Amino acid sequence: MSHHDIQKPTDITIPADSLFAKLPMLGGGLAVVGLGATLASAFGENKARAMFSYLWAFEVVLAIALGALGFVLIQHAVRAGWSTVVRRLAETAMVTLPVFIVLFIPIVALGMHELYPWSHHTDAILEKKRWFLSVPFFLGRAALYFAIWSAFAWLLYSASVKQDSTADGSAEQKKLSHTMWKLSAGGIFVYALSQSFQAIDWMMSLQPHWYSTIFGVYFFAASILAFFCFVTLVAMALQKAGVLKDAITTEHFHDLGKFIYGFTVFWTYIAFSQFILIWYANIPEETEFYMVRLQGGWDVVSYALPIAHFFLPFLFLLSRHMKRNRTALAAACVWMLFMHCVDMYWLILPNFGTHGEGHHEAHLAISYLDVTALLGMVGAFLAAYGFFLNKNKVVAINDPRLTESLAHENY
Amino acid sequence: MATATAVVLPDDPKIRGDVTLEDPVGGREALVRGPHDFHSVTELVCAVNEKPILETPNPFKFGIALAAAGAAMFGGYIGYLFWEGPGIWGNNNPVGWAWDIVNFVFWVGIGHAGTLISAILYLFRQKWRTSINRYAEAMTIFAVICAGSCVALHTGRIWMDYYLFPIPNQMGLWPNFRSPLEWDVWAVNTYFLVSTLFWFTGLVPDFATLRDRATVKWRRMFYGALAMGWRGSMRHWVTYEKAYQILAAFSAPLVLSVHTIVSFDFAVSQLPGWHTTIFPPYFVAGAIFSGFAMVNTLMLPAREWLGLKDLVTVRHIENINKIILLTGTMVGYAYAMEFFVAAYSGNDYEGFTFINRMFGPYWWAYWTMVSCNVITPQLFWFRKIRSSPAWTFVLSIFVNIGMWFERFVITVTSLHRDALVSSWDYFVPVTEVFFLLGTFGLFFTLFLLFVRFFPVIAMSEVKSVMPQANPHWEGYGHGAHAHGGGNAQPATAGGH
Amino acid sequence: MNANEKLWGLLAQYENPATVYHACEKVRDAGYQQWDSCTPFPVHGLDKAMGLKPSKLPWAVLIVGVTGSTLGLLFQMWAMGWAYPMIVGGKPLMSLPAYVPVWYEITVLTSCVTAFLANWIMNGLPQPYHPAFASKAFERATDDKFFIMIEAADPKFDLEKTRALLKDAGATQVEELEP
Repeated sequence: MSHHDIQKPTDITIPADSLFAKLPMLGGGLAVVGLGATLASAFGENKARAMFSYLWAFEVVLAIALGALGFVLIQHAVRAGWSTVVRRLAETAMVTLPVFIVLFIPIVALGMHELYPWSHHTDAILEKKRWFLSVPFFLGRAALYFAIWSAFAWLLYSASVKQDSTADGSAEQKKLSHTMWKLSAGGIFVYALSQSFQAIDWMMSLQPHWYSTIFGVYFFAASILAFFCFVTLVAMALQKAGVLKDAITTEHFHDLGKFIYGFTVFWTYIAFSQFILIWYANIPEETEFYMVRLQGGWDVVSYALPIAHFFLPFLFLLSRHMKRNRTALAAACVWMLFMHCVDMYWLILPNFGTHGEGHHEAHLAISYLDVTALLGMVGAFLAAYGFFLNKNKVVAINDPRLTESLAHENY
Repeated sequence: MATATAVVLPDDPKIRGDVTLEDPVGGREALVRGPHDFHSVTELVCAVNEKPILETPNPFKFGIALAAAGAAMFGGYIGYLFWEGPGIWGNNNPVGWAWDIVNFVFWVGIGHAGTLISAILYLFRQKWRTSINRYAEAMTIFAVICAGSCVALHTGRIWMDYYLFPIPNQMGLWPNFRSPLEWDVWAVNTYFLVSTLFWFTGLVPDFATLRDRATVKWRRMFYGALAMGWRGSMRHWVTYEKAYQILAAFSAPLVLSVHTIVSFDFAVSQLPGWHTTIFPPYFVAGAIFSGFAMVNTLMLPAREWLGLKDLVTVRHIENINKIILLTGTMVGYAYAMEFFVAAYSGNDYEGFTFINRMFGPYWWAYWTMVSCNVITPQLFWFRKIRSSPAWTFVLSIFVNIGMWFERFVITVTSLHRDALVSSWDYFVPVTEVFFLLGTFGLFFTLFLLFVRFFPVIAMSEVKSVMPQANPHWEGYGHGAHAHGGGNAQPATAGGH
Repeated sequence: MNANEKLWGLLAQYENPATVYHACEKVRDAGYQQWDSCTPFPVHGLDKAMGLKPSKLPWAVLIVGVTGSTLGLLFQMWAMGWAYPMIVGGKPLMSLPAYVPVWYEITVLTSCVTAFLANWIMNGLPQPYHPAFASKAFERATDDKFFIMIEAADPKFDLEKTRALLKDAGATQVEELEP
C-alpha cells in the first residue's frame, strides 16, 4: 500500500445530534447531582465515609486523565507514528486536568481531618515524618503537581490544536511537531516524579506509618492501563456516532489491545513485586498494609484482584483474534475499568474507620455514597471531555505523521 | 507498508551528526545508508567471516590472544579457588557477599540489553534493531555465561552445585523452591537457554547464506551443519516467523523476570538498603542501562574496524543513547525514591544506611556510582554528544563503571555496617580483581570468536527492512512486471 | 506424462520481491498445490500471495506450555509440601507466593523450547538434501535472488505449460531439477 492511496478522514467533527454533542450537558448534570449528594452527606454524620468515597472517585478518574498525559508525552517523545489517529482523543482527556483543581478543593476544604490522620494526630513515628507530612507542605505540593500537569496538558493541547489549522508541509507545522517533541522529552521526567508523589501524598499517606518505594510505579501502571481502556471505548463509541469511521482501523484497535494486555501484565508485575517483598520479609511496619486488607471482607477483594485483574484478562486477551475483535476488546475494556475502580477502592477504602494505624479492624462495606461520588466524578470528567471534544477536531488532522498512522498495519 | 518515506542522508559519517533530520515531519531516516542492494549487504557482512583463517588481521590475533590469556588465567583462578576455597577472597563476617555477587549481577545485567533489543524492540516494531540485534544477543549469551560462572563459583563447595537442580537423590531431598537463590538458578538457566535458542533461530538463515557462499570444504560443512538445510522456503518462513514472534513474546517478560529475581535475592531480606519494594523495576532499568552501554562499547569499535558503518549508522547510536538516557534517569528516579522513602519512613536504620552510603567509609563508591549513572548520561540530552561516536564510547565506559559500582554499593555498603556495632567491618578485596579480569577474558574470547566466525549482523532481517524488500515499493512501479529490474536503488529522499 | 522420467520439478528465478510476489499470485491462481517459493528473507505478504494458511505452531506451544506450567507448579507443591516437608524461614509449607517465580520460569522454559523445536519439526528440518541444492543459481536464494519451484508431482504440472507460466510471470531463468 503506498501513500498515494491514503485519504485524510473528513468525518472529524462531532455531529450535532450525537450523544457526544450533549456530553457537556449530561455530564454536568450528573456531576451536580452526584457530587452534590456526596458532598451534602459530608456535612452530616457520614462525613468521613463521604470523603473517602469522594477521594476514591477522584483518584479513579484522575488516573485516566494522568494516564492520558503520560501517553501523549510518550508518543511525542518517541515520535510514534501508529498512534496519531487516536492521539487527539488522549489529548482531550489530558486537557481536563485543570478541572481536577476544582475537584480537589473539597478534599482539602472538607476532608483533611477525616482522610489524613497525620493532619491532626501525632505519635513517635509521625513526629519523625513531620518534615514531609504537614498541611502547608501538603498543599504546596498539591499546587505544584497541578501546576505541572496543567502546564504540560495545556501547552501540548494548544500546540496540537494549532497545528490543525497550519498548511500541510509548512514550516509552522514542522515547528509545532518539533516543539511538542522537545516539550515531551523533558516532560516525561517531571511527569514521572509528580504523579508518583501525588500517589504518595494522596493515597499512601492515608496510612501514614506505611511506606513502599514502588507505590508511585503502582499508580502509574494502574493509571495508564485505565487510560488505554478508556480511549479504546471512546474510539469505538465515536465510530458508532459516525466519526473517524475509516480512520481508526482494526490495526489501531489491535495495538491498543496489545497495550491493554501489556499493561495488565505490568500492573501484575508491580503489584506482585510489592506484595512478595513485603510478605517475604515480614517486617511489621510494612505488613500492616496487607494485614488490614486481609480481614473484614477485604480478604475477598485481595484474593480476587490477582484473579480478576490478571488471570481473567490475561487469558481472555491472549489470542490476537480477541484483540482484533471489537466486541471482545470492548468487553475487556469495560471489565478492566471496573477492576481499576476495585483496585483503587482496595487501596483507599480499607483506611476508612481504621485511622490509618490498624487500631480498628477494617470492614468492607459498600455505601450508596460510593455510587454517587463515582457517578458525579465521571460526570464532571465527561463534561469537560465532551466540551473539548466538541470544541476542536477529534483527530490531529495536520499532524505530519497522520498518513503513516492511517496506513498502519501490524505484522 | 506502514513506514513513512525513507530519507537517505549523505554518506559522509562526519557530517551526519550535524544534519538535522526533517523528521518529525519529513519521514524516517533510511536504516541502511548508502547505495546498497541485497547482494551488497550480504557481501559486506560475510566479508568478515570469509577472510581465510591464515589472513586474520594482526590486531584481531593480538586481541584474541589477550582475551584468551585472560580466560586461561580465569581457568587457573578457578582451580585455585577450587583448591583453597573462598578464603582467597576478602569477604568477612558482616560482608558475606562481595565481588562474587557484584560480578554476577553486573554480568547478568549486561546481558539484558541483548534480549531487550531482540525481543522488546521487536514487539514495539522498532526496525532499527535489525542491524544490532545479532551481536547484542551474542553479548547476552556470553555475559550470562560469565554471570553463571560467578554465581556457580560463589557457593563455596563448588562440587556440590548439582544440588541446586531438582535431581532425585538417595536422601529424597529437593531444592528449596521457597528460596530466592533457587529462583535465581531457574531464572538464569532459563534465560541462558532461551536466549541461546532465540539467537540460534535467528542465525540459521544467515548460516545458510554462508554455506551457499562457501568456497572451501570445511566452511561448507561447518555452516551447512549449522544451517540444517535451510533454503528460505516461504512455507518454512511462515512457521519460522511465528516461532520467532512467540520466542520474542516470551523473552520480553523473561528478561524482566530475570533481573527481578536477581533483585529478590536482595530485597526479600530484612536488611536496610536491600529490602525496598522498588528493587524489581529498578534493577531491570539498571540492567537495560548497563547492557546498552556495553552494546555501545562493543559496537563502536566493531562498526569501525569491520566496515559496517553503512549498516550500523549514527541513527543507531543515537537511539541507543536515548535509551541510555531514559533508563539512566529511571535509575536516578529509583535512587531518589529510595532516599526519599528512607527519610519519609522515619525508620532510623533505613536513614542510617543511606546517609552511610553517601558519607560513610564507602563514599567514594557511592559518588562514583551517582556520577557515572545519573549525571554523565544527562549529556545525552545534547544531540551533538549523542550522535558523536567518540563521546558515546567514553560515556558508555562511564556507565559500565558506574553500574559495576552500583552493585558494589548495594551489596557491600549495606552489609558492612551490621545492626550490632561490634560486628562492623570494612571489606577489602584480596584476589578478586583476577576474578573480574578473568570473566572479562572469557567474555571477550567468546565475543571475538563469534565476530570471526558468525555473521555479526542479521542479514536476512536487515534485508527485510530495506525499502526494496517491500513488494509494493514505489521503485518497482505499479503492477511491477518489470523483468530483470531487480535490486533497483532506493530513490533518494522523500516526496513522490 | 513428462518426457524426462527423472524430473523432480521446475525452478524459476526472479530478480526482486515484486516480481516473485506477482508470480506467486499467478501460480496460486493457476491452482497448483505442490510448489514453494524461496526467498532470502520473508517477503511481507508473500504467504498470502501463495495462499498459505497460518502456522499451527502456536497451538503446540499453548498445549505444552500449559502442561509444563501446571506440572511445574504441582511439582513444587509436592516437593515442598509432601515429599520432604520442611519449614524454612518461617514460611508455610504451601507458600504459593514463593512458588510463583519458578512456576513462571518453567512456563517460559517449556513454551520456548516447544516453539524452538516445533519450528524445526514442522518445517522438516534438518534436511541435508533437497533437489534445489543441485542448482548453481539456487545458491543465491539465501543472498538476493527469489525462486519459485513447482514439483512434477503436482497434478496440474505440465512441463511446457508450467514453464511458460513461470516465464511469463517474469522469471529470468527456469531450470529442470532432478530428485
